[in-house]
Amino acid sequence: MKRTVKIWLWSLLAVLLSVGLIIASLQWSHQNVSELTRHHNSQLSPVIMIPGSSATENRFDGLVSEINHNRTNPHSLLKVKITNDDKLHFTGRLRPGDNEPFIVVGFQNNKDGYSNIKQQARQFNVIFHTLVSRLNFNNFKAIGHSNGGLIYTVFLENYFDQYSNDVRMTKLMTIGSPFNFNERSIDNKTQMLSDFIKNRNKLPNNLSVYSVAGTKNYTSDGLVPLVSVAAGRYVFQGAVRHFTTITVSGSNAQHSDLPENKQIVDLINRYILHSTRVPRARQNEPRLH
Amino acid sequence: MDQLMARSMKAYQSKFARVIQDTLALLFPIMLLGSFAEVLKYSFLTPSGFVATVFGVTKWLPAARQISQLLGLIVHCTVDMIALYGAYGITYCTVKAYGRQTSAMSGAIGLLAFLMAAYQPHSHGRLLFNSTLMGQGLLIALIIGYIVGRIIVAFEKRRALRSYQIIWPLLLVVVFSIVVNVVVSLTRSPEVQSFISSTALHAVQASALSYVIGMGLLTDLLSWMAVGGPFSASPTFTDPAALTNLNHALKTGSAFNAPFKYTDVTLFHSFANFGGNGAVLAMIIAILVFSKRQRFLTVSKWSIFPALFNNNYAMMLGIPIVYNPIFLIPFLLAPLVNMLVAASFLALKWIPAAVYPVPSGTPGPLIGFLGTNGNWLALILGAVLIFVDVLIYMPFVKLYDRLDRNRGEQ
Repeated sequence: MKRTVKIWLWSLLAVLLSVGLIIASLQWSHQNVSELTRHHNSQLSPVIMIPGSSATENRFDGLVSEINHNRTNPHSLLKVKITNDDKLHFTGRLRPGDNEPFIVVGFQNNKDGYSNIKQQARQFNVIFHTLVSRLNFNNFKAIGHSNGGLIYTVFLENYFDQYSNDVRMTKLMTIGSPFNFNERSIDNKTQMLSDFIKNRNKLPNNLSVYSVAGTKNYTSDGLVPLVSVAAGRYVFQGAVRHFTTITVSGSNAQHSDLPENKQIVDLINRYILHSTRVPRARQNEPRLH
Repeated sequence: MDQLMARSMKAYQSKFARVIQDTLALLFPIMLLGSFAEVLKYSFLTPSGFVATVFGVTKWLPAARQISQLLGLIVHCTVDMIALYGAYGITYCTVKAYGRQTSAMSGAIGLLAFLMAAYQPHSHGRLLFNSTLMGQGLLIALIIGYIVGRIIVAFEKRRALRSYQIIWPLLLVVVFSIVVNVVVSLTRSPEVQSFISSTALHAVQASALSYVIGMGLLTDLLSWMAVGGPFSASPTFTDPAALTNLNHALKTGSAFNAPFKYTDVTLFHSFANFGGNGAVLAMIIAILVFSKRQRFLTVSKWSIFPALFNNNYAMMLGIPIVYNPIFLIPFLLAPLVNMLVAASFLALKWIPAAVYPVPSGTPGPLIGFLGTNGNWLALILGAVLIFVDVLIYMPFVKLYDRLDRNRGEQ
């Protein structure tokens, strides 16, 4: 008789424990599956662009409309501006079904100089954090014009490792980025370049980097010395998976014209973008079947 | 039943059975310690383990990693080396049962023979032993130890054996161990291994149902022989069929209509492996409810905790289930019934297939429940199946009880 009571007591305890365990694990399961689903269904792979100093979030409007020219599936354009109090202001919207939207970032403090670049990189991290949690992408492409490329480098070396499990930067294109500011010789390394080289082991090793340089004459693009752009190799070469340097010349190859340069638009289409272009059919054009 | 009783009574009382039982009883406390450590390490303190995931143990427990490492020490020296103790024990028990005098020396010689068989000759002078043999080679260790024991006894019968006279049998044992070593290294050659692994590729084919049930039973049978079987101890969710199922479910948002309905996860791990191979959790319940022998009750009570997390080692050696012909029948029958019932439920689309990955060390009845993302019918089916398994085990538990009592009285 005593044993029966004991068995019942133990069974009761077992049932209570099981119910607790079932509830706790069920909660985990729902959460886990919804996370898996979100990740699986998110094929979003945005292109995040940072303009150079003194530029706003509208800097790349021309570039984007050039890329979207004659497409029935245009990339949507989302703009984020961050003010000095770290508040975000969004404009533009994402077209449903667009897997490759452009996101352009603007800073209220868009001044030149290493300390400002560090400040902008910190603010970019704030923006990036919000974008990742809102849009739930697991990979993205990056384009930085002028100082934008430097902001990306600071971001990659100091902030990006917290996302490394969830988000992958697949490609980075820097356009006319002065890795050694205005120094005309690599022997005079600026503080920024020294820092970049010191922390280069923190760069993601599965990243492909394209460094594009413009030209006005043989030594500079009118503002940035070619040597300063080329100094990027001391940062990236050997630390990332691929590092490619490209020099463009001809019309629109001066520093501030670079985002509208036809060749660079072509390079972005070829190296950065993935979604295939669906051209608009011209009227009266006979269709072949 | 009476015939079975009489026949097993005879087998149960043979000297050989006695030797095996004494050896396994020797291993039980070591294995119990190991299985506690294993469950704590892999389910509680490894970030991917069940309890660690659901309750976030590794996040709030200070020094979780260090404790886990120390537990690893216990696991490696107990579970991963169990054959070593087996070789020692069986030689000692054999000499004790068949010889005129017992000597601790014989156990040491058995240990030596097994170590020689497990040593890897191509280890460039380092001390490297065959880890598969150490962890899953209990059967081989018992065979080696038994033969060694008989060799020692054979020499002993000629004249009273003193420790300096043990040199001749020792030499024979050494030659024997070298032969075993060569045979073992031959079976580890790549050709044999690729033959073995190529048989595991059929899981995704049309005849998957019979394949899964057959492989599941083979796993249980081999585990009864203390050898590792074709199915892993816990679901891995990394094989192509499981990944296809998961992708399909994520795309359609439902686990019904999975492309591969009958896999090791959906049938074997979800419904036939409660408490480890052979639905041992049901056996524990059956013993706790129906058995009257103090020995079995004690072993079962100690084994509850590891068995909740699908670790049945302690029960296997403590009762023992290993090499025990009486328990072989329910040990295979219970999982078979479970798999057949679960397969018919799946075929009728009453329950979805378990496609979502669960953490390692998830309690058996919860694998099907969590793998379907909380299908209540799957949970109820699991509970009912445990009840059925208890009923399957019941007559055998009672029979074994009687057997043990009769022997105790004699």
